[in-house]
Amino acid sequence: MNRVKLIALQILVMVVFLGIWHLVTTTSLFGDVKTTQFFFSTPGEVLARTWKQLTGADIYYHLGITLTETVLAFVIGSAAGVFFGFAFARNALLAAVFDPYIKAANALPRVVLAPIFALWFGLGIWSKVALGFTLVFFIVFFNVYQGVKEVSPTVLANARMLGMNERQLFRHVYWPSALTWMFSSLHTSVGFALVGAVVGEYLGSSAGLGYKIHEAESVFDVTGVFSGMLILAIFVIVIDSIVTLVENRLLVWRPGQSSTTTT
Amino acid sequence: MESKVSPPANAGAAAELPAVSLAGIDITFHLQGGQRYQAVKKIDLAVAPGEFVSVVGPTGCGKSTLLNAAAGLLTPSAGKVTIFGQPLSGLNRRAGYLFQQDALMPWKTALANVKVALEPMGVSDAQADRQARDWLARVGLRAFVERYPHMLSGGQRKRVALAQMLIRDPEILLMDEPFGPLDAQTRQIMGNLLLDLWSKDRKALIFVTHDLEEAIALSDRVVVMSAGPAAGIVADYKVPLPRPRDIAEIRLEKAFHEIHRDIWTSLRVEVQKAYAMGEGKELVEGAAS
Repeated sequence: MNRVKLIALQILVMVVFLGIWHLVTTTSLFGDVKTTQFFFSTPGEVLARTWKQLTGADIYYHLGITLTETVLAFVIGSAAGVFFGFAFARNALLAAVFDPYIKAANALPRVVLAPIFALWFGLGIWSKVALGFTLVFFIVFFNVYQGVKEVSPTVLANARMLGMNERQLFRHVYWPSALTWMFSSLHTSVGFALVGAVVGEYLGSSAGLGYKIHEAESVFDVTGVFSGMLILAIFVIVIDSIVTLVENRLLVWRPGQSSTTTT
Repeated sequence: MESKVSPPANAGAAAELPAVSLAGIDITFHLQGGQRYQAVKKIDLAVAPGEFVSVVGPTGCGKSTLLNAAAGLLTPSAGKVTIFGQPLSGLNRRAGYLFQQDALMPWKTALANVKVALEPMGVSDAQADRQARDWLARVGLRAFVERYPHMLSGGQRKRVALAQMLIRDPEILLMDEPFGPLDAQTRQIMGNLLLDLWSKDRKALIFVTHDLEEAIALSDRVVVMSAGPAAGIVADYKVPLPRPRDIAEIRLEKAFHEIHRDIWTSLRVEVQKAYAMGEGKELVEGAAS
């Protein structure tokens, strides 16, 4: 299928969706217009509100807060995940002793921690960072652990035969291998950092996208909720494209990862 | 684990000493469930400096195991490994190893893979860069220095691995079926390249292969191992073919056929034994490696 046709079909899906939405909420086919609009708003209003917000200054303050929380949760969570992933992979006793606790902690639905984090860290950004951290940490931790464990024995034996000491093995073999695994989960961990931030804001805060959605919801402003969700979706797509760019640059050596594979 | 085999004090005496000497080597693997598997038993093998020795034997006879003992990658259960007269403990620092499988770091370009081999020797970056480019040119990869391993063919990857090993100028070369995964034509080309590089400054070389023709075409000596378990050396043949050789053409010569017939007589018995032992043995072998 050629590209133009694909894009045309993708646009068609959006038009049909918005068309049905519009039909449901502005005609009396499905009941009272006032009632349906109260529950579903209308596409026109949602788009208008989103446009108004995106052209105003206020939303960027909230986006900035959410972005800050996401980045902090991702950076701190990744750093801790890499550190502990390495420590556990290189120390069998440590891994064996902590194994059940790690599994238990990872099994816990992280949302239940949100109130306790709000209590400990207040309603500012740090309680959201903490929530995002608990999500990011385990993803990175397990991936780095796996990455170090699954270094090809041949590559390792070869590096040792080349005379590398522990430090050089770390730098040239373990570290790149662990990073590969970490980057392969980059989309997931960045996504989870954002989930942590937004859920945390939603459950208790005074700024951020989650707060904006919650605020609209508490006054039954369905248009505000939908437009908040739309902005969140745009935000996620932008972040995800940046991650893809970063990934393509860093994993250029991987088969099928880059377009530089020439004959 | 790490150890250094320092050069012998008396260099004159060192010329007399074998580069690698294996004496009474037993290697036993402890399998899961308390089982034991004796891979090789009472092996004696000495390789002189400058000698090209091939080790042939049926699949799973412990050829690679023996090579790993010479490399210090595994410690024999009994017996002594001596490198230029010095007992080996830990990794063999004076040896380079060419693996059968891909051993290049996939996250490094061909150039970086070769360069990194000089890092443990403390060579400066600029110097390492120059030497690595030179070695890649010598193995015929001048145009491929910036390629990552997955962008190279199997033969090209072997060339990079060869450059990576040789750039350190090891005194002993250990090769574990290095051309096994390659197609027949590429194998011949790689064989000639290897002979070409080796003949410039003959190092002691142990070449493990299951391909008898390859062994004869390349080596000064062919050692035949028996079928495992508890494999030993059953025969040891000199290959009196003149050098330099072209390994594609040497196979057509009469002398080659005579040697081939002789060695095959010993090898055939072992191959049939290994075959007769069937799949049960293969399973044990698989668990051991």
